[in-house]
Amino acid sequence: MERSSPNVTNLYQFIVYLCGFLLFWEWLRPLSIVTDTGNLSLFVMYTAFCFLISILQVKWWLSIPLKLAGLIFVIDGLFISERLFSKAWFYLLYTHGRYNLEVIFQRDFTEMTALFRSFLFLLLLWLMSYLLYYWFVVAKRIFLFVLLTFIYITVLDTFTNYDASIAIVRMFLVSLVAMGITSHLNMVEKESIKEIGFKRLTAWLLPLISIILFSTVIGYAAPKFDPQWPDPVPFIKSTAENAGIGSGGTVVQKVGYGEDDTRLGGSFVQDYEPVFQAAVEQPNYWRIESKDYYTGKGWERSSKEEYVAQEDGRIQFKTFSDNVDTIPLRALVRFDEKAKLPKVVYPYGIDTIFGTGQETYYLDFDTGAIKEENAKLSGYQIEYNYPSFSIDELRGASEEDPEEIKGKYLQLPENLPSRVGELAADVIASDDNRYDKAKAMESYFSLNGYLYQTKGVAVPGRNEDYVDQFLFDTKVGYCDNFSTSMAIMLRTQGIPTRWVKGFTSGEIVDGQPDVPDNLTVYEIRNSNAHSWVEVYFPDIGWVPFEPTKGFSNPVDFTMETAAEPSGQDELTADQEQSPENAAQEEQDIPGKYQDFEDETATASGPLDGQETSGYWKWIITSSLAIIISLILFFTRYRWMSIIMGRRFRHSKNASAYQEAYHFLLKVLAYKGVKRDQDQTLREYAKEVDKRYQTTDMSRLTYHYERQLYRNDVDSTQLNKMTELWENLIKRSLS
Amino acid sequence: MKQQTFLYNSKVEKVLRNINKVMIGKEEVATLSLVALLAEGHVLLEDVPGVGKTMLVRTLAKSVDCEFKRIQFTPDLLPSDVTGVSIYNPKEMEFEFRGGPILGDIVLADEINRTSPKTQSSLLEAMEEMSVTVDGRTIDLSKPFFVMATQNPIEYEGTYPLPEAQLDRFLLKLNMGYPTMDQELEMLERTSKEHPIQSVQAVMTKEELNNVQKQVREVFIDRTIQQYIVDIVTKTRTHPSVYLGVSPRGSIALMKAAKAYAFIHDRDYVLPDDVKYLAPFVLAHRIILNSEAKFEGISAGSVVNQVLADVAVPIRREYP
Repeated sequence: MERSSPNVTNLYQFIVYLCGFLLFWEWLRPLSIVTDTGNLSLFVMYTAFCFLISILQVKWWLSIPLKLAGLIFVIDGLFISERLFSKAWFYLLYTHGRYNLEVIFQRDFTEMTALFRSFLFLLLLWLMSYLLYYWFVVAKRIFLFVLLTFIYITVLDTFTNYDASIAIVRMFLVSLVAMGITSHLNMVEKESIKEIGFKRLTAWLLPLISIILFSTVIGYAAPKFDPQWPDPVPFIKSTAENAGIGSGGTVVQKVGYGEDDTRLGGSFVQDYEPVFQAAVEQPNYWRIESKDYYTGKGWERSSKEEYVAQEDGRIQFKTFSDNVDTIPLRALVRFDEKAKLPKVVYPYGIDTIFGTGQETYYLDFDTGAIKEENAKLSGYQIEYNYPSFSIDELRGASEEDPEEIKGKYLQLPENLPSRVGELAADVIASDDNRYDKAKAMESYFSLNGYLYQTKGVAVPGRNEDYVDQFLFDTKVGYCDNFSTSMAIMLRTQGIPTRWVKGFTSGEIVDGQPDVPDNLTVYEIRNSNAHSWVEVYFPDIGWVPFEPTKGFSNPVDFTMETAAEPSGQDELTADQEQSPENAAQEEQDIPGKYQDFEDETATASGPLDGQETSGYWKWIITSSLAIIISLILFFTRYRWMSIIMGRRFRHSKNASAYQEAYHFLLKVLAYKGVKRDQDQTLREYAKEVDKRYQTTDMSRLTYHYERQLYRNDVDSTQLNKMTELWENLIKRSLS
Repeated sequence: MKQQTFLYNSKVEKVLRNINKVMIGKEEVATLSLVALLAEGHVLLEDVPGVGKTMLVRTLAKSVDCEFKRIQFTPDLLPSDVTGVSIYNPKEMEFEFRGGPILGDIVLADEINRTSPKTQSSLLEAMEEMSVTVDGRTIDLSKPFFVMATQNPIEYEGTYPLPEAQLDRFLLKLNMGYPTMDQELEMLERTSKEHPIQSVQAVMTKEELNNVQKQVREVFIDRTIQQYIVDIVTKTRTHPSVYLGVSPRGSIALMKAAKAYAFIHDRDYVLPDDVKYLAPFVLAHRIILNSEAKFEGISAGSVVNQVLADVAVPIRREYP
């Protein structure tokens, strides 16, 4: 016998929703492999439970407690050993809740407890059960979800250990069934077919099933092409692992210190995670190591690593000769617990390093990299002689470089385009000494329209050179682009250079910790990671230069003769790039070493303490404004009714009455009794009265009709009308 | 004004009560017939024989103490049978006019579509002009003059359907419909001994009827309502199923009917409700559907209902 359609439709809906569950299950399956999610079956069971409740269309006042109970049950079983609903049980939940809320407000999302994360995950599952019910059963739009599922699974299959070769077959089957049935349901609805008999059901289902089976078998058994595109994974992976100052690649990476600089380029996002705090007398750049071999894509070292233990922490590493003027200073460095920096950061002129215990430090002479024995740095004190280079001496330095320097620091890749050298020659053409040449090169970029940006930075292609691309094609980039370009351009002109990595001086910490000797504490974050250039001057040593737009030279140059201004010109050019500097200046230590004042980088600008608090203020103010306007919006009829009522009572004329009546219509429409445009007031009033079990609306409408269609206002009735109106407003808003 | 409405209204009530005493379950048709009578219009009743068309008219005529005439239209009926004829009076040595049934106050034109167009038009002319012309003499018809025509929708053999141009001379076109089972039982019960029409008493004089008609003309109709009427009528002209929409005469008819309806309901002003209620009865027979609509089985009544659903009821007026 033919069955009535609701049953068949319900059956269909059930199948479609079941398909939705199976597809969603595919989302959960990989979690145990690609994340550290345990007890996945429990989560799947909870999902199934939520889906079941949704399809049974349990009333909300029943379904919400049921799902909540399930959630509590799962949480209890997984994490809580206390007796369910005992005092200790509640207390545990309370402490978890409080702690995690705090963590959320501090934005330390990684610190959330497993219980809380599971709770959020379960909530997500709950939401998904509802969302999928809407997509699959109510809206009958499932294609988007199917597509998302496929994208998700294929991406996971490509980039993680998850093997989706069976999953993809399952998904095909399930989604074909779901889409077939949904399109049938849609068709039935569109053609408004009242009865779907069992016969017709089979007439529809049989071809559907056979097509699905046929295509699955064909798809499974058919020979398959090998991948048509080159596998992007190794490339993306290799660049992804370089995440750091030297990172690059087509994917966007986080900024920070990294070991591998063989492929530079690519965009990065700022990462404001703190790395270390340093207490210093004056801000300075923090050197880590230098590199000497340019590949055309990035930097490597030409020598083997060779770490030598340094006795008593006396570091035998000199970047400049003893005849450079220095000031003895000291610095305290304290690493952030989460930072995993393998090498020591130190200021120029490092002399001695003391750890907190009996650590031994090892130095790699070639690069200047310093490691601690077990590579776990927590904190140390450095005594150093900070250099102040005499410009006169630099200008007067000879250009006769030792052979070992020439051999190592003039290296250029074979396929470096000749136009790089031509440009470099142009830039320094008018300068007759090495210092002025270096200065000209240092300022060349900021004076010639090269832009500092971290987004949309290109990666050189197979046949492209990193420096050449930046100089002639893209002209946008960050420190790596600027520093590498300067180093290579000077090398083409026979000036030995090397490329240095480290951190900029960071920002002064709000609320200074208690440190001895009135040192100032700076916070250095991943976003302060930086690279710059050292240029060799015979008899003087390696002198740092800062070509990156918006940054200024880390070390001091002193003028003994009142010759032409040297660094000052560039300084002003730099300041234009970083408006934050103006504010920053006041925080910096005034005094002797004024040239250091502008070391804050543009890139780290947004991190500025005041900026951040202003940002928060802005967020709080705007969310308050949003909340208030939302409240006003949702209670609009309440406060508007008060205003309306007052106006109505005070100005008893036809116009006010009309406005009041129409306001009532709006309120009623908002409360679900909407008047159709072809409904007369009388018809509508009857409907309203029926709903609220009164006769007020009809009585009020009678008066309004007289005013509207008879054009007379019975002023004796106005008080009564006001009363009726108020009653109705109260009744409908209650 | 209000007082008079109130007084006359009670008379109208009584007429209605009289009709409802005779006609069981025909309140709507009775009210609408009264609307036509009060609005000085005419009614076309379309229904099968034996559902009480004649009885309705007779009751109405008897209740208002009017002269009731009946013309049974047959194929061989001549115009002079309707209007009257001049007969030679040998005694007076001159032609003497003998008035036809059309000179009555309330005229039942039974099965109007059975007679030839010539005869039909003699009636319809009289309805419009309120006068008849016989042998060069023009005779004004007395007021009230109310024609209730009936036609049988079943038989098409040997009938002359009324031309569209003449159909809109009727203010309203009504259907009687069969009574329900209970109503029919009740009818048998009441008529088993004596037909209730025998006991119907006149409750309104001819004079009073004329006054009521005057009062109805005085009923207030606001400009917003007039706009509403025009909106509805205009919309029938652009409806996709309509070949020929409602003429301006239809707008006037709707307004007049609405006034009468308001009066019957004890109001001296018209509501959109009145217009909305009456529109199907006033407008449906004035619409000519196109052939697609006819083929699809769309009725003129449903077109009017669609139009009503599309037109917004005026619920606001501009105050300076």
